[in-house]
Amino acid sequence: MSTLTQPTLDEARIGRPGGASNILAVVRLHLVNRYSVFAVPWLIMAGIFVVNVAIWWIIFASVSSEADRADARDGISYSGALFYIFVYMLVLGIQAVAFTFPFALGFSVTRRDFWLGSALTFIALSAVYSACLTILATIEVATGGWGLGGTMFASYYFGGADASWIERFGLYFATYLFFYFVGAAIATIYQRWRNNGMLVLFGTLGLVLIAGIALVSFTNSWPSVGAWLDSNGPSGVIAWSLVPTVIAAITGYFILRRATPKN
Amino acid sequence: MSAVVEVSHLTRRFGDTTAVDDVSFSVQKNTIHGLLGRNGAGKTTLMQLLTGQDFATQGDIRIFGEHPVENSGVLKNVCFIKESQRYPDDFKPRHVFTSAPWFFPNWDAEFADRLIKDFRLPLNRRIKKLSRGQLSAIGVIVGLASRAPLTFFDEPYLGLDAVARQIFYDRLLEDFGEHPRTIILSTHLIDEVSNLLEHVLVIDEGKLLIDEDAETLRGSATTVVGTRQAVDAFVADREVLHRDGIGGLASVTVGRLTPQDRARATETGLELSPVSLQQLVVRLTGSSQTVLEQSA
Repeated sequence: MSTLTQPTLDEARIGRPGGASNILAVVRLHLVNRYSVFAVPWLIMAGIFVVNVAIWWIIFASVSSEADRADARDGISYSGALFYIFVYMLVLGIQAVAFTFPFALGFSVTRRDFWLGSALTFIALSAVYSACLTILATIEVATGGWGLGGTMFASYYFGGADASWIERFGLYFATYLFFYFVGAAIATIYQRWRNNGMLVLFGTLGLVLIAGIALVSFTNSWPSVGAWLDSNGPSGVIAWSLVPTVIAAITGYFILRRATPKN
Repeated sequence: MSAVVEVSHLTRRFGDTTAVDDVSFSVQKNTIHGLLGRNGAGKTTLMQLLTGQDFATQGDIRIFGEHPVENSGVLKNVCFIKESQRYPDDFKPRHVFTSAPWFFPNWDAEFADRLIKDFRLPLNRRIKKLSRGQLSAIGVIVGLASRAPLTFFDEPYLGLDAVARQIFYDRLLEDFGEHPRTIILSTHLIDEVSNLLEHVLVIDEGKLLIDEDAETLRGSATTVVGTRQAVDAFVADREVLHRDGIGGLASVTVGRLTPQDRARATETGLELSPVSLQQLVVRLTGSSQTVLEQSA
């Protein structure tokens, strides 16, 4: 018998401290398909960029007076073009739990290691993407809007043209984290409670929203809401998004701990 | 301690239905177990409980002496291949085999490569676009090449053709010989695997009906065929498991026969034939069929 020479599976290795290596394995699992994690987002971004450049070119080619051009540049600085890339991250966050979680469980990963590994992946990807966006924003500002006076990366919402690189990086980073974790947390509710969970979640969110509007309206507080938004600015609002992000990260963990993937 | 799996009074309820009902058994190290039963009998739920994917309502599970739920030390030694396994949307088979070694410490890449060739699995096609058989092949390859000390196969070969199934049985036995481990195999193709199995668990409507050595089980029933009169005389004081008859002929399945019984049967002109594992399971779990249909 070759059992003498072959390593046998006799003793299951229970005692080994798994922790870090298991979590890293989950990170690698999320990144194993480099095409959809790295190539697709940049392809989307490139597509949006090309469309934007075309629009800027059309605008500035058809507007001749300097006053109108300044007006157009100002309008373009409110560009929401980057929004699409964040929505794609929301989808990645949802898919991480909807598809990778049942698969990882099939690979004998614990729910704890899966969530911690996923969180680490989200943070790492957010950092990488934010660094890239920061570089692009710096180039955009330096080239006077890609030579056309356009704005896509250094938009009003991410600090505008005057923001420091660290401020920009922080704003991108917080936005990425928000979409990843909120997407993943919503998907954990689905994994745990299926359609009923979704109905309750969005029903509750709708009610809370209506109640909030009612509260503000009846107490005549709209001016102070406006003042709050005004004093915080877009950057302040993004910074505040860290609160729901952290809540999503923590509740997602506890929801997933008791979830069983069904088919 | 040689029991790899120890289950006592395990119950899992989903609302009104009891998927697993007060089940107790243990599985010895380095054996191949068959977990048999009809659709919806509770096989998958039982395996999900044993692998920490589902949560017990009542009772106790020990895998390698510990609770499996959220226990990465235990789960590292467990591989659970299920028919309904889902894969990330954008995965190709090669992504599965690239990542498997990160999770299964005993992963044998050479063995996996050989199996991929055996099953003619395309590595670079989207998993979504694979045929049912190719999808099953992925699971079979992971289950074999992971060499987990405790491996579960839940209906692993849906859609696999006869050749591919034979490859699976051959490779399983071959590799089991070289790297003994504990295997729990759930299947409907009982006749095909009956030679592989060392121990048989039969579950029906969540209850464990049989927990028996396969060898013992094979001799535990015999079909007696002959004229109605002779058969009736022979089985008069025995427990009858099943009865068939056409005209003056009768075919009756009874329990274990002693050598004296057999001699007497042959003297009276009766024919004896062994009952296959599959027939036995059908006889044992088929009885509740009518009840099931009435309640449905």
